[in-house]
Amino acid sequence: MTLLETPPRPSTPPRPPISHSSAGGWRRAKNTIASLLIVGSLVAAMIPLVLIIGYVIVRGIDAISWAFLTEDIPILTRAEGPGMGPAVVGTLLITGAATVMAVPLGVLGGIYLNEYSARSTFGRVVSFFAEVMTGVPSIVMGLFIYSIWVLRFGVSGFAGALALACLMLPVVIRTTEEMLKLVAPELRESAYALGGRKAGTILRVVLPAAAPGIISGALLAVARAAGETAPLLFTVLTVNKTNTDLFNGPNTTLSLQIFRNAQQVFTGPQDRAWGAALTLIAIVFVFTLLSRGLSAVFARKHRV
Amino acid sequence: MAIDSELLPAPTPDHLGGGRPPGRVTDRVFRVVAFAGGLLVLVILALIAYSTISKAWPAFRDEGLSYFTSDVWDPVNAGFGTLAFSFGTLVISVIALVVAVPVSIGIALFVTELAPRWMRRPVVTLIDLLAAVPSVVYGLWGLLVLVPALPGFYQDWHDLFAGVPVLGDVFDGNPIAGKAFMTAGLILAIMIVPIITAVTRETFATVPQAQKDAALAMGATRWEMIRAAVFPHARSGMTAAILIGLGRAMGETIAVALVIGSSPQITEKLFSSGDALPAVIVNQFGESTGTYQAALIGMGVVLFFLTLIIGVIARAVLARSERKLSAP
Amino acid sequence: MTRTSRRARWVLALLVVFGLVAAACSSNDKKSNGGSGSPTTKSTKLAAATLNGSGSTFQQAYDETVISEFQTSQPAVTVTYAGGGSGKGQTDLQAGLVQWAGSDSTVKPEDVSKYKGPFLYFPTVGAPITISYNLSGVSKLQLSADTIAGIFQGTIKTWDDAAIKADNPGVNLPSTAITVAHRSDGSGTTAGFTLYLTKAAPTTWKLGTDKTVAWPAGEQAGNGNPGVAQIVTGTNGAIGYVDFSDAKAANLKFAAIKNASGKYVAASIAGATAAMEGATVKPDLTFDPINASGPKAYPITSPTYILVYTSQTDAAVGNALKGFLSYIYGPGQDLAAQVDFAKLPANILSQAKAQVAKITVS
Repeated sequence: MTLLETPPRPSTPPRPPISHSSAGGWRRAKNTIASLLIVGSLVAAMIPLVLIIGYVIVRGIDAISWAFLTEDIPILTRAEGPGMGPAVVGTLLITGAATVMAVPLGVLGGIYLNEYSARSTFGRVVSFFAEVMTGVPSIVMGLFIYSIWVLRFGVSGFAGALALACLMLPVVIRTTEEMLKLVAPELRESAYALGGRKAGTILRVVLPAAAPGIISGALLAVARAAGETAPLLFTVLTVNKTNTDLFNGPNTTLSLQIFRNAQQVFTGPQDRAWGAALTLIAIVFVFTLLSRGLSAVFARKHRV
Repeated sequence: MAIDSELLPAPTPDHLGGGRPPGRVTDRVFRVVAFAGGLLVLVILALIAYSTISKAWPAFRDEGLSYFTSDVWDPVNAGFGTLAFSFGTLVISVIALVVAVPVSIGIALFVTELAPRWMRRPVVTLIDLLAAVPSVVYGLWGLLVLVPALPGFYQDWHDLFAGVPVLGDVFDGNPIAGKAFMTAGLILAIMIVPIITAVTRETFATVPQAQKDAALAMGATRWEMIRAAVFPHARSGMTAAILIGLGRAMGETIAVALVIGSSPQITEKLFSSGDALPAVIVNQFGESTGTYQAALIGMGVVLFFLTLIIGVIARAVLARSERKLSAP
Repeated sequence: MTRTSRRARWVLALLVVFGLVAAACSSNDKKSNGGSGSPTTKSTKLAAATLNGSGSTFQQAYDETVISEFQTSQPAVTVTYAGGGSGKGQTDLQAGLVQWAGSDSTVKPEDVSKYKGPFLYFPTVGAPITISYNLSGVSKLQLSADTIAGIFQGTIKTWDDAAIKADNPGVNLPSTAITVAHRSDGSGTTAGFTLYLTKAAPTTWKLGTDKTVAWPAGEQAGNGNPGVAQIVTGTNGAIGYVDFSDAKAANLKFAAIKNASGKYVAASIAGATAAMEGATVKPDLTFDPINASGPKAYPITSPTYILVYTSQTDAAVGNALKGFLSYIYGPGQDLAAQVDFAKLPANILSQAKAQVAKITVS
């Protein structure tokens, strides 16, 4: 191999082309059928994706307007016309509050698990239970917050944010832990060798190195929380006018409004539901794509 | 090997990016704060377990074993048997797996074996977009688009299999109404395809290239290579993927609540309406008090433990397969 | 990729995230929350208060209409209504999560102790519960109580059943299967409908009466009155019980029901008014127009109530509640017809107005 030749990428050596296989007719036929089925399954998965996103866009785009995003929700449920302002604000406020509560704690927890107790039994137990907690059905979180908070302090956006934070926390902890694991140990050791303390090393060397991956995980958790409905059902009630007070009084979110209006028989609320769905998908997709972009950055940086 | 930073001499200023790095006190404080973050998980989980089980206890106590085995759900006369809901959850999860697993394996094979390199990332991104769609949007689409469209298909399937011994009964019920076990199962299938695909894809990617090349070198077609080299290696990974998909399907609440028909029954007819564990909680919790509410919370507890057990098994299977694959 | 551009990427992402949050917060500041504290030019008597309500979907359209008008005349008061069914309204009031509850059914004696204190029933309006159906080719339908009981119990399974034919001589009924739709949530409408069947078809109807009953398997259930309406509109051969306001707004066809005097009466405001006028009013202002006698009475007429606690601890909330209820008994009664509800008969109205004074504000 001379300098002028481009070396082949090490992970995929050139494969022998299938056509050189001296397989007989029936074997070839099976291979073709299998290939068709494989491509067919991709198409089968793409069809619902296109249908769902297509319908949401087509039905929702008519409903979306500046008035839709800012005006109050019509008091008469069956009325036609725009207004999901309170829901947009509610989604951003409640998800934002949940993020503020869950992400710092989650990152700290992940740091603890990976940096301070990676090999201890306690660390493994906590890690195991964090994984367990990611699988708790969201409705159970809602019931939990209803029992211990709402019955004592009433409904509020904060109660909903608590429920969402409980959902986000284990996800953030786990992704932080995984991302920190991927940071090369040499990075830490060279920091210690230069005289750094543990906290300083973590804060100034390890975290910045793992940051894209951690933020990617956090964004994914935020995207999931923004779309959640079940934990908010019994904690947030509903409003028609925007409520910016997170701690007092009921609130509403895009997901709750979609759930309510989907079960209405009238076209007015159904249209608002499609518009809200489009808004919600836009928010969620932005966060998801950001997250994937960041994780690609991280993967390139820390190619294992 | 990590070096214990406590043994190092006190740091001199002006290194590691300039400025004084955190001192000993900050180090301790940070450690405590990080520990608190980790401990919080255990605390919250313990609280959830304690509070939900204690709230659900009256139902378990009053009903005893019939809470799980009776199919009579009659809140008015204090009959709280959850069998019909467990049945519903099981049925729709099985339908979802039957539809989603072949599709997911196909997509995973496409991405790892068939697709040209430039196609991989876009396809994976598209599948992940399916995962990003919130459950309530699936429910909205399912209720307003799928449910009106399905009765035609259900009628056709019913007529196709009418008279056939087992399948005729299965594809029966009330085909003219769109909300049924089958509808919920189909929506669930779309929702769990991304997660099963992701896990399966990662499993397929760990198959040693050497084994695949060996099969091809011996004259195997691509399909034969997949069967000979990929599937055997990926068996436990695929099992884990299926279990993870099952866990997700069982916990899915909102989309199912909107399209399943909300009428609990135990039947083999998939085109009839039914109910599932999380869906009934959504529908009836708001008005429940006392033992009724305890019974509903109890269903949440049952669901929690079911998904927990499935998750643990899936993790164990995955860990075992990773150990096997990384062994020299 | 260089270190700078990598950093720039995630700094940019962070900026986007914070930008979204900041945009939300700044748009909050520009919005005012319902005029709390803002002075008005009218002679507003009520101080700023929030009245959260939940409960019956039967009365929801009426409540929302009244709330809309009431808030225009009293801008300092914010009233919300979450619906959710009579059962939810009662439970939320028991837990103190709402200040008022909408319910079409009365509280069962064994549940009274669950409330935080004594409460009052305030009847607001009445309306027919329609038996709505969706059957292509059939635009007029008559049903008697026994037939309805058979349909909803699952003993009558097809539209060309003999019982339905007997109620509808001369009508060409197809052999379509009947899809029954009932409520999945605890519903005062269910309570009223099943009470009618218990009274008018006592031998045929076996499922009793309550906010939820043990419906036979294989039926469909919807959330709220609009949810049932959604099932009926979506399925050929479907039948369900829906409040008059939602049924009319959804363009549903509904059957004429045989009343206690033997006449088939179509659902209408006049029929509901006739049923309510003859009803006996109890001291707590609950009354029962179900299966009322009289040739013009529509037999499945349901009253609907607002429940509030008798003694209110918050002065602003208490006065706002009194103002809200007084509004319902004043201009609010004329709003009823707008959304297809029947206003209260005069004798009930005067008693209800008097009962508002019983709410004590500390």
